[in-house]
Amino acid sequence: MKLDTLVKFQHMDRRWIFLGMGLAILLPMLFPVNLPFKVDERVQSLYDAVEEIPAGSTVFISADFDPASRPELEPFFRANLHHLLRKDVKFVSATLWPSAPPLVLPIFEELTAEYGKEYGKDWAFLGFKDGKELAIKAIGENIPETFPQDIKGNKVEDLEVMRGFKQAKDFAMIINVSAGFPGTREYVLQIQGQYDLSIASATTAVSGPDYIPFYKAGQLNGLSAGMPGSAQYEKLVFPDGPPDGVRLLATQSVNVLNVGHLFIIVLIVLGNVAFLVTRQAEEQA
Amino acid sequence: MTGIEVAGAWISIFLTICVLSFLYDDNPVYKLAEHIFLGVSIGYGVIEIYFGVFKPNLLDKLPFNSDVAWSLQSVLTFVPLLLIAMLFSKLVPKYSWLARIPIAFIVAAYAGVKLTGELNANLMTQVAQSIPDLGAVWAEHGFWTWKADGAGVFSSLFLVLGLSACLLHFYFSAPQNRAMQQISRFGVLTLMLSFGASFGYTVMGRISLAIGRAQEMLGLDRNPEQVAQINPKLATIVSAALVIGFLIVWRRRQGDDYTPGN
Amino acid sequence: MRSTVPLVLTFLVGLFMVGEYFIPHWGYHVITQLLLEWGLILAAAAFLLGLFNLIQVNLPKVLNREEDWGYKLVMLISLAGTLVVGFWGNTGRLNPGEAYKWLFDFVFVPLNATMFALLAFYIASAAFRAFRARNLEATVLLVAAIIVMIARVPLGESLPLVGEKLPQFMNWIMDVPNIAARRAIFIGAALGAVSTGLRVILGIERSHLGAD
Repeated sequence: MKLDTLVKFQHMDRRWIFLGMGLAILLPMLFPVNLPFKVDERVQSLYDAVEEIPAGSTVFISADFDPASRPELEPFFRANLHHLLRKDVKFVSATLWPSAPPLVLPIFEELTAEYGKEYGKDWAFLGFKDGKELAIKAIGENIPETFPQDIKGNKVEDLEVMRGFKQAKDFAMIINVSAGFPGTREYVLQIQGQYDLSIASATTAVSGPDYIPFYKAGQLNGLSAGMPGSAQYEKLVFPDGPPDGVRLLATQSVNVLNVGHLFIIVLIVLGNVAFLVTRQAEEQA
Repeated sequence: MTGIEVAGAWISIFLTICVLSFLYDDNPVYKLAEHIFLGVSIGYGVIEIYFGVFKPNLLDKLPFNSDVAWSLQSVLTFVPLLLIAMLFSKLVPKYSWLARIPIAFIVAAYAGVKLTGELNANLMTQVAQSIPDLGAVWAEHGFWTWKADGAGVFSSLFLVLGLSACLLHFYFSAPQNRAMQQISRFGVLTLMLSFGASFGYTVMGRISLAIGRAQEMLGLDRNPEQVAQINPKLATIVSAALVIGFLIVWRRRQGDDYTPGN
Repeated sequence: MRSTVPLVLTFLVGLFMVGEYFIPHWGYHVITQLLLEWGLILAAAAFLLGLFNLIQVNLPKVLNREEDWGYKLVMLISLAGTLVVGFWGNTGRLNPGEAYKWLFDFVFVPLNATMFALLAFYIASAAFRAFRARNLEATVLLVAAIIVMIARVPLGESLPLVGEKLPQFMNWIMDVPNIAARRAIFIGAALGAVSTGLRVILGIERSHLGAD
């Protein structure tokens, strides 16, 4: 291949790459190939930790994600709610992200209605609180003072599900569905050590490598990272496949990543082959 | 679904294609979508902050409310109100120095909580967990166990040595003699392994974001009844045709003045 | 006075918040909770300050018909529209059928999600154009990235011969060199954060107070 062809190839209009990436995403969705996958130890650990929660206990869910991270985290969020609700575990939820409430409240209402759970008695959503680390510290200190009202304007101290629960440590577990900052890192830094909390985290793939040291150090009792993590958790929660009306979005989508990743690898290899051949030719010249 | 929701679903797909048009080039359709996004997202932030923080934590606690009695707690609510007024003095140059007080308060509060959090969770716990009990590791995993993802004495030593080498690499004020250079190189290689893994995860994360949009455009994230009502594929084709048509006209109007952003 | 009061306040509040970790007395925590609540409110007010600044900067541009004034007008209309439907909806704003909810589901969600989805395309472009094995370090980074990309998805587990070992080796990369590097970064960052925090609390660092 001529040298100037290789140089042109290295500097080709990137819109061709964009088109290739688009096809790498669309084609496996139109023509799906479902390869099996295993569950990794961190997700298994998360599942086991939730499985051990006794019926009738109450957990605190911090739903800290936005529309951008929905494909990675919403499948976990839904599967986790199914897991908790069918075990008769109650939950109180809040969020540190302003775009989360309109996203998570409909999911709460849909799934709690399915399991016949009553607002205020079996679950509650306290809404959004700004302040990042200060908000998390305040959750560790005193939740009713930090959230005087829930998302519907009710007084939190009047909610039956909040009776006896004042601080984060009073809950059986904190489940943090975290898309970034503020999220799992801030929970671990601010209150996990001080109150010796049991925290499980589902996070985006970008943050996954950052939180593995927390998991290995025992600061998290389970970690699900990205779409594969959500798909693995769905597999554990629904080992015999989903019930009617339940779509496993992560399981449906995780195989799309096969082609996407292959495309990126091919790009890297081709780019490097062209670079190395060009460099060698220039050195010889 | 109601008619307005079906219309909303079509608008949603149209706006998606408008933003994706940026991949061709920065164009008016993208700019319009971007500015709508800016306005709406700031509006959302303000609304949620008002209903999430101001109303419950400040306004509803003031003694002007009929169900709030005058007490030390309710009177203390005037303090953050005063601090907010001082913060807004930043908009008036003559009195902007007053804003230093609430800024000092916020900065000090964050500095205080971050200090203890970082010391405990990032420093002490992480260092403690890095020191392996080699006897116990040998008894459980030996030198290397594939089934346990490579756990064993080799991995434990690699972790400690890699961690130490990375820390020494970051110690820039130490003289770089030959021994330090070799240790630093090992630290850099450990960092490269980690960053490579990070890149792999980042690729996975970014592609996942695009998968979500593709799911909506193909109707894979809705139940069959909703898909029949909305017809997302048709919405995608129509929206794409409109946007591509606009881009062709826009490109032709630019003529010789056009310089691609890519 | 203009510098002294903020510095003294910084010292007192900072020290109090540090003490919160060590002092378990209930009375101390009553005061801490109050300070935290005030901090939350102030942090929220800082966002509002940004909103006023945005209007202060963009409204004159629209009124004076400066460059791109049309887009700025669209932004201000979108902002105003969202505020109106949000306050109108009040505590029921998130109920199905509400204008605020409609705006969120069909305007905010696709725009927010697609803005970030663009990154998938740009990362492909960056991988092709910038990811070069120029030296040993870059090659190690590339190889690790490729192993993780293959092994993290179902394809990696289905490969013949290496299908079992590849995910295990990927987990080793995540559990050993990744943790070694991350911990080094965390430890370095923690030392930096502690020193910066102390500098702020003790008044050595004063940049947040602006010039005198």
